[in-house]
Amino acid sequence: MTTETLHDLRGDQPRFQGLEAGHRACQGCGQALAARLTLEAAGPDVVLANATGCLEVFTTAWPDSAWRVPWLHSLFANAASVAAGMEAALKMQGRDVKVIALAGDGGTFDIGFQALSGMLERGHNVLFVCYDNEGYMNTGVQRSSSTPHAAATTTSPAGVARIGKRHLKKDILSIVAAHHIPYAATASVAYPTDLRKKVRRAIQVDGPSFLQVHAPCPLGWGHGGELSIEVARLAVQTGLFPLIELERDVLIGAMPIRRVRGIKDYLRPQGRFRHLFADDPRAREELAHLQALADHNIEVYGLRGDRPDTLDSEGADTVHRGGRHFA
Amino acid sequence: MPIMTPGAFAYPGTSLDFRTGSWRTARPVYQVRPSPCHAACPAGENPRDYLARMAEANPRAAWETLVAFNPLPAITGRVCEHPCESACNRGQFDAAIAIHNVERWLGDEAVRAAWDYPLPAPAAEAPEVAVVGAGPAGLSCAYHLLRLGIRATVIDRLPEAGGTLRTALPCYRLPREVLDAEIGRLLAAGIPFVGRTRLGQHVSLAELSQDYAAVFLAPGRQQPRRWDVDGRTPKDLHPALTLLQDWVALDAVPAIHSALIVGGGNSAIDMARVLARTGAEVHLVTHDAMPGPGVSRDVAMKAAPRDIDQAIEEGVTIHVEHGIRRLILRGEKVVGVELVRLKKLLRGDGRYEVVPFEGTETVLHVDQVIPAVGQVVDADGMGSLLSENGFFAAGEDMRLPGRDAIYAGGDARERAWGTVSGAVGDGRKAALALHAHLSGRRYETGPAPRPMAIADLNLNYFERAPRAEETLLPPGLRQGCAEIAAGLSPEKVGAEAQRCFSCGDCLACDNCWTLCPDQAVLKSRAPLAEGARYHIDYDYCKGCGLCAHECPAGYIVMEAESRPAGRQQGP
Ligand SMILES: Cc1cc2nc3c(=O)[nH]c(=O)nc-3n(C[C@H](O)[C@H](O)[C@H](O)COP(=O)(O)OP(=O)(O)OC[C@H]3O[C@@H](n4cnc5c(N)ncnc54)[C@H](O)[C@@H]3O)c2cc1C
Ligand SMILES: Cc1ncc(C[n+]2csc(CCOP(=O)(O)OP(=O)(O)O)c2C)c(N)n1
Ligand code: SF4
Ligand code: SF4
Ligand code: SF4
Ligand SMILES: [Mg+2]
Repeated sequence: MTTETLHDLRGDQPRFQGLEAGHRACQGCGQALAARLTLEAAGPDVVLANATGCLEVFTTAWPDSAWRVPWLHSLFANAASVAAGMEAALKMQGRDVKVIALAGDGGTFDIGFQALSGMLERGHNVLFVCYDNEGYMNTGVQRSSSTPHAAATTTSPAGVARIGKRHLKKDILSIVAAHHIPYAATASVAYPTDLRKKVRRAIQVDGPSFLQVHAPCPLGWGHGGELSIEVARLAVQTGLFPLIELERDVLIGAMPIRRVRGIKDYLRPQGRFRHLFADDPRAREELAHLQALADHNIEVYGLRGDRPDTLDSEGADTVHRGGRHFA
Repeated sequence: MPIMTPGAFAYPGTSLDFRTGSWRTARPVYQVRPSPCHAACPAGENPRDYLARMAEANPRAAWETLVAFNPLPAITGRVCEHPCESACNRGQFDAAIAIHNVERWLGDEAVRAAWDYPLPAPAAEAPEVAVVGAGPAGLSCAYHLLRLGIRATVIDRLPEAGGTLRTALPCYRLPREVLDAEIGRLLAAGIPFVGRTRLGQHVSLAELSQDYAAVFLAPGRQQPRRWDVDGRTPKDLHPALTLLQDWVALDAVPAIHSALIVGGGNSAIDMARVLARTGAEVHLVTHDAMPGPGVSRDVAMKAAPRDIDQAIEEGVTIHVEHGIRRLILRGEKVVGVELVRLKKLLRGDGRYEVVPFEGTETVLHVDQVIPAVGQVVDADGMGSLLSENGFFAAGEDMRLPGRDAIYAGGDARERAWGTVSGAVGDGRKAALALHAHLSGRRYETGPAPRPMAIADLNLNYFERAPRAEETLLPPGLRQGCAEIAAGLSPEKVGAEAQRCFSCGDCLACDNCWTLCPDQAVLKSRAPLAEGARYHIDYDYCKGCGLCAHECPAGYIVMEAESRPAGRQQGP
């Protein structure tokens, strides 16, 4: 096809394309995909407030924008406050437009946390989406409070004193849900049907809602760009990243895991966990620790599927000829 | 383009101005790759492609896709041992697609709905080829010639077309109505057939070569191979082929109390079953092993496992890896045999040798021994063309060495498949080679396709689903021409088609379109059959390879970019 006919075809896609090509994300970026899928389900009547971070940077290299909806860049810390202000202004104008705040895990778990808490507490009609790539990726892969235990980053290296991050990944979903908001959920780029369904559900909430989307970062996690979906899928299938939904702090749904995989399947393709495969007693202990964390998730959220299900970790994205997905 | 103002204020432009395609070091390419079922089919069919049309609920297109290779699907759907299913990637996942049932249903449906074979009428000045033998090889050759615009006349010494399918295949596996309907329709589609014409008697090779642009010889193997034990044969010896032919034609078999059939192929098994139905005690002895996982094709019985299983159900006792050491004769009549255990062992030179084991001899009392040890070509009128071992030494293109316009295939050639689908495939190859020859071109066969492996698929996207099994007539009810295998309902045929992984071709699952982080995959409304539904926009594709990794069907391959990765030139 010529560039012209492809251009016409691009203008005639049978889905809403809120985030266009030409953005500067790395090859295989999970966050770029997650944002595109979010907009696909949420658009076109939305406005966005985007915290500083990779997503903001790679979509808006001056003077281009990859966004096809109104978009505002907040500071690193205050996407939730800016979104709250936009929501209040739109309400004053009597306009029925959903406001979505977008932020990385740094802009959510860490520096953006008090703004987020305030927005939730004040009950703004805002969907806050956190793209969780488990580190400060835009500034060169520093640890965040979302970085998993034992993962290596530039500020939690696999060194002499410690091998990888000493602390645990913060349980942001429980903290958010404790604000007693109508809807909070986790999702993953590996399960796009589930992800879009959760976006649609969150959009319909009149009040604050929250999504934490697991989005692999090939650069920061140290895997090939072609493996982003594979790695995200394994995070779910090992129990390390449970896909759950909460209403008013009550668990209302969890994606069952049909075939629980051992955590090594998830860790092995990723450079940030390479040190855990060294012949080192500390590495063995950390592996056992991570397995215990996965087992704990499976137990706490009741993730083990008791029979094959079209909505479980193996059935949720089964394909059919002609693009018919289940759900 | 962004509009720039003094002071470098800019209205935002679209990121589409920025071609991230220049980052790429490898590009994803949609590429149809050979499926294992296709690579395994001796007739050259591509089951994946007709399963796809079937899954789209378009049975007529499915049939047309099928008969582009094999004009006899109602027949092969019943009698082919379906190597496609043994090769099917789905077999390593849960169970192979029941390809033969889909094939059979399409063949039957074409008869029922009277779909026309897609055959152009040949031009008046088109060259004409003489085809000798109206078995599957000859019929397939004539049909494919016609598809290629070449006329063909088929002659046979018998009054009716069909070859061994008509003379020896039992009606409980291949009902006469099915045979008559499919072959009748094929001939009616424009293939002139001249029966009761025997090469070497009514017409000579020289005459055919004179009157026709070329000749295709497909006389099959009509002559039972000689058989003896240390030079001795019982007086009342009847080879299985002859007895089967009599049974098919006259519905009569000699009354036998107990018999030993010698051989492990189709004739042996069918002979055993026909006799078992008369109430006889039937044994079968073969040097070969029982086919099964881990058993090489070189040492396994040649009959289809399905038919062997049914024979056992019907009461036939099979002595695999045994041989006859001695005939026990009373006068010139058999009263028994001495059997010995043996094995076909691979020797250093790569050949198999039959090694009997002393001390394992047993005696079996039977009043008939019936050899079914293969057939040879009836040399009538063709003797000068046969090689020393009595078969045609045809090449890959089915041409006889040193002959310009004489081709041969089917059972009659050396290293023949010995099956209907093999004969159909030979006929097609001969037609392609004849077409090339008659249009003054060289016929290129090219390397055999390397089928894609199951490792090239992404199995995360497939659900396990049970294979539809056809019902079989219980052994007690298997009498006369009652067909044993019932086939599948149209619903089940459709469900089987849906199970196909579509190895190496697009399933239209949308995965690449859904998962490209760069919006570089575009979807059109073009019909899938033309392979034009998805397009990669190389202006933006960064070459991450994610689409290729997540394509369930292995239809996307990454190819290294020839140009070095360069920096973006700037919008
Ligand atoms: C009992 C039995 C069961 C079988 N079961 C199966 C099965 O289940 N599945 C399977 O795939 N295969 C089976 N086969 C094998 C299969 O039938 C053959 O491989 C196939 O028919 C070969 O096709 P062909 O066209 O080469 O020859 P044939 O089908 O043998 O046809 C040859 C034709 O040439 C004619 N002819 C011969 N000489 C002359 C001449 N001089 N002049 C004019 N005409 C001549 C003959 O009359 C005949 O019609 C079976 C074979 C037998 C005997
Ligand atoms: C107040 C402030 N401190 C530091 C920075 C530098 N900075 C920009 S992005 C970023 C990290 C972003 O991490 P995260 O929110 O997880 O998004 P990611 O880039 O990983 O997608 C930092 C530290 C900043 N812009 N503002
Ligand atoms: S799954 Fe389909 S395409 Fe693949 S080998 Fe089996 S029938 Fe052929
Ligand atoms: S997923 Fe997109 S960017 Fe990556 S190789 Fe495929 S088409 Fe190119
Ligand atoms: S991912 Fe799906 S739609 Fe894309 S090429 Fe593969 S089978 Fe076709
Ligand atoms: Mg981050």
